Amino acid sequence: MSRQRQLRLVLSFRTAAAAMALERLCLDRGLPGRLIPTPRQITADCGLAWSAPPEAEAALRAAAEESGVLLDGTNFLEI
Amino acid sequence: MELVKVDALGLACPLPVVKTIKALEGLTGPAAVETHVDNETAVQNLIRLAAGKGFPVRSEKLGEKHFVVVMEAGKAAPAEAEAPALCLPDRRGNTVVAVDSDAMGRGSEELGRTLMKGFLYALSQLDELPKTILFYNGGARLTTEGSLSLEDLRSMEAQGVQILTCGTCLNYYGLTEKLAVGGVTNMYSIVETLAKADKVIKP
Repeated sequence: MSRQRQLRLVLSFRTAAAAMALERLCLDRGLPGRLIPTPRQITADCGLAWSAPPEAEAALRAAAEESGVLLDGTNFLEI
Repeated sequence: MELVKVDALGLACPLPVVKTIKALEGLTGPAAVETHVDNETAVQNLIRLAAGKGFPVRSEKLGEKHFVVVMEAGKAAPAEAEAPALCLPDRRGNTVVAVDSDAMGRGSEELGRTLMKGFLYALSQLDELPKTILFYNGGARLTTEGSLSLEDLRSMEAQGVQILTCGTCLNYYGLTEKLAVGGVTNMYSIVETLAKADKVIKP
């Protein structure tokens, strides 16, 4: 049975604290996306990831870099 | 983006899907197709239609027998020939989820709130949705204004998941006027719902 799937930018992190820091940053600045459990396609480990429209990649990466939030991976997934 | 409205209120399955497909076929460019239906199974089938075509979709319950499904046609390439599921049965099981806090697990409150948001998101992605989600005590914060889980909860509600929040709890926290999704319940209904469930999940 299929459910809703869309192409999303999924940013992964080495630590939960980094993921939560990016969430705070995005909420403060009105940047798009949301925190989700890291999809199984990226890792079977428990983790947090930031899911956003693909076109937001540049803005999110710039905000993360400017604020010192370390990203682990950039993925484009149908989730 | 153009907005195309499809009125499928009062129509039985598969007519809401058929009318929406006709509207999609008539588009000449990117558009939001907004289909109004009166039952949750139609919402589920329209969401499957959008998924099959790769279109972003959202759904919301507007009234007792009034639901809206909005799919953004043209924002993604249509998926290859996946036959639309026109009339699949209701995909709710008889599972009840009991949420007694806005945080999942003990330890860090901040981490717990993040985990709970993730739990409700993952719950909304299940192939078989729960029948009911009960919110009580601190869980009441999740169904009220300012909750970051409202989108997930509204989507599940539009697909027929009962979202119920303890009235005493809303009152205690001063949130009675801020309920943003679902209805209010009391302890008798909470106990009956839990007692009748095949399975209860407590995050």
